[in-house]
Amino acid sequence: MSTTIKVARYHLIFPILLVAAPWALLAFTFAVNLIVTVIQGGPNPTKALAAIFAVMVFAGGLTMTRSLPFALTLGATRRSYYLGTVGLVIALAAFYGLAIAGLQALERATGGWGVSMYYFQPHYFLTGAWYLTWLSSFVGLVLLFVYGTWFGLLYQRWDTIGLFVFVFGQVILALTGVFIISGDHAWHSVGHFFTTLTAAGLTGALAALLCAGGFALIRGVTV
Amino acid sequence: MTPAISLTGLSRRYGDQLAIDDVTLQIDGPSITGLIGRNGAGKTTLLRIIAAQEFATAGTVRVLGSSPVENEAILPNVALVREDQAFPQFRVRHALEAASLFYPHWSAELAEELVASFELPPNRWVERLSRGMRSALGAVIGLAARAEVTLFDEPYAGLDAVARRVFYDRLLADYAEHPRTVLVSTHLIDEVSALLERVVILDRGRIVLDAGADEARSAFTRVSGAVEAVEEFVAGRAVLERRRIASQESAVVAGGLHDGDRPWARELRLTLEPLSLQQVMVQASARAAQQSKEREQA
Amino acid sequence: MLDDATPIFTQIADRLADEIADGGLAEGDRVPSTNELAAYYRINPATAAKGVNVLIDDGLLEKRRGIGMFVAAGARERLLEDRRRSFAERYVEPMVAEANRLGLDGDALIDLVREVGHAQGALER
Repeated sequence: MSTTIKVARYHLIFPILLVAAPWALLAFTFAVNLIVTVIQGGPNPTKALAAIFAVMVFAGGLTMTRSLPFALTLGATRRSYYLGTVGLVIALAAFYGLAIAGLQALERATGGWGVSMYYFQPHYFLTGAWYLTWLSSFVGLVLLFVYGTWFGLLYQRWDTIGLFVFVFGQVILALTGVFIISGDHAWHSVGHFFTTLTAAGLTGALAALLCAGGFALIRGVTV
Repeated sequence: MTPAISLTGLSRRYGDQLAIDDVTLQIDGPSITGLIGRNGAGKTTLLRIIAAQEFATAGTVRVLGSSPVENEAILPNVALVREDQAFPQFRVRHALEAASLFYPHWSAELAEELVASFELPPNRWVERLSRGMRSALGAVIGLAARAEVTLFDEPYAGLDAVARRVFYDRLLADYAEHPRTVLVSTHLIDEVSALLERVVILDRGRIVLDAGADEARSAFTRVSGAVEAVEEFVAGRAVLERRRIASQESAVVAGGLHDGDRPWARELRLTLEPLSLQQVMVQASARAAQQSKEREQA
Repeated sequence: MLDDATPIFTQIADRLADEIADGGLAEGDRVPSTNELAAYYRINPATAAKGVNVLIDDGLLEKRRGIGMFVAAGARERLLEDRRRSFAERYVEPMVAEANRLGLDGDALIDLVREVGHAQGALER
């Protein structure tokens, strides 16, 4: 059994980060929103699905800080740890994406669970056919996980200062981006962008790029 | 035969601090070697470098013939047990399951026995374990892994006297049946000393003594008796310690004893005693400090 | 069990030799294996092996492949002879030196020796 597979199995021994947390949070926010929708009545296009995506960022960070040292001690190479972890997440994400697409289909079929709550179809996002939802979710989950690994690895290598520089840099980038988009009143096209196939392809490419970066970062980690 | 561990001119620098300073060491297996030294001598750093958890800034490391860094062929055969091991969100049994995944020679049977011997609660979260139990968990993993190169970093930390005895006996017993290369770092040497074939003393990142256990014990001698007699005997030798009370003196000299020394000592009515390994470590460190001061002044 | 003063392997060798000299281990008897010795004294098996090898080199033990180590023929006699030879150096010399310190002369010392021998029921011709 290759070390990469061993790493995947390692994460599954007690998969709190990669399985329990995302779905528990999804279930929780779903339930809360359902209750709120029932009480307030009327259409509720909540964006709470973002929760599961946010958790992936945390999971990425934590697998690279909390779970990494013991795996390295047990003899995993840094390479196989990164690949094994991301590989597992890719497999899980494919599965989760399908689940989201399935739940979305169910939601549409039941008219928003009978109370017009559109949890699995946030405004402007995931508006396309089921397979596009699947693809977008899949790619989005992977991207955010890999993004999260950057936080973890930068912290491992350069401590709080590294994190600070990383966040600071992104804030600058984000502000610039928001400036441009708001200037063009282009939020609508942004959402549309993220649903089309080419967008999924580009997001996937971004994920791959970040993955390569993470792979390079982990080489220098010491525990 | 390829040495199990081979370090050549190994150094590790952190900024202006040289944690490991030009270490050259070769350990053949199977054997049990002690890596002893004061706190901060560099023992943990050295072990981490051997296990490829830390990188060298100069020199080479070879484990079982190859560099261990990112080496999938070598790393499964190396087990490093650390006092400060960080675990993920695991219960004790998860940690053991993880270990069984990675170590090809893992013995579940031995692990079970050891968990019982150390009275480890298998369902407790590792985070919730006391310091002693954490050490015990490390010991279980290190022993049950039956890795060809097994490194223990302060395995005794936090273990009470009973647990220390369990560890010691289990290590010996399993080593007899499954010989391997064991490197134990500790600053509590006397308890382990009968276990060691060889002793490497580290002080401020440098090796100050590397010898067989018996040789190491005879590296220093305590000379006791009347003050004048002691002074006569130690004249011309490197003296590391002198203690006096009334007309009695006790001095520690470096360097072995020559053939004529014992009869001469008997004539002078002096007692000559070897030092325990613990005392050897203290004296070797003191000597190293003395010599580096001399070098600086020169 | 073991002290700090002499190398451990020497102590192991000495103890086995004592057993042979006392007759506890007779000619042809099997000697404990190095692993057994290591477990009993709680020492490294290699150290135990070193101690045993001392006796093998002295011809007091012999190794029989696959079976174990055994007390060689004539080991006891050889040991006693060796010890008789070093008896003077190990016991008589210190005793004489101490007697001298205490101001005992030759006759007084011999009388003392006879007294003790009598009390122990030993040294009879």
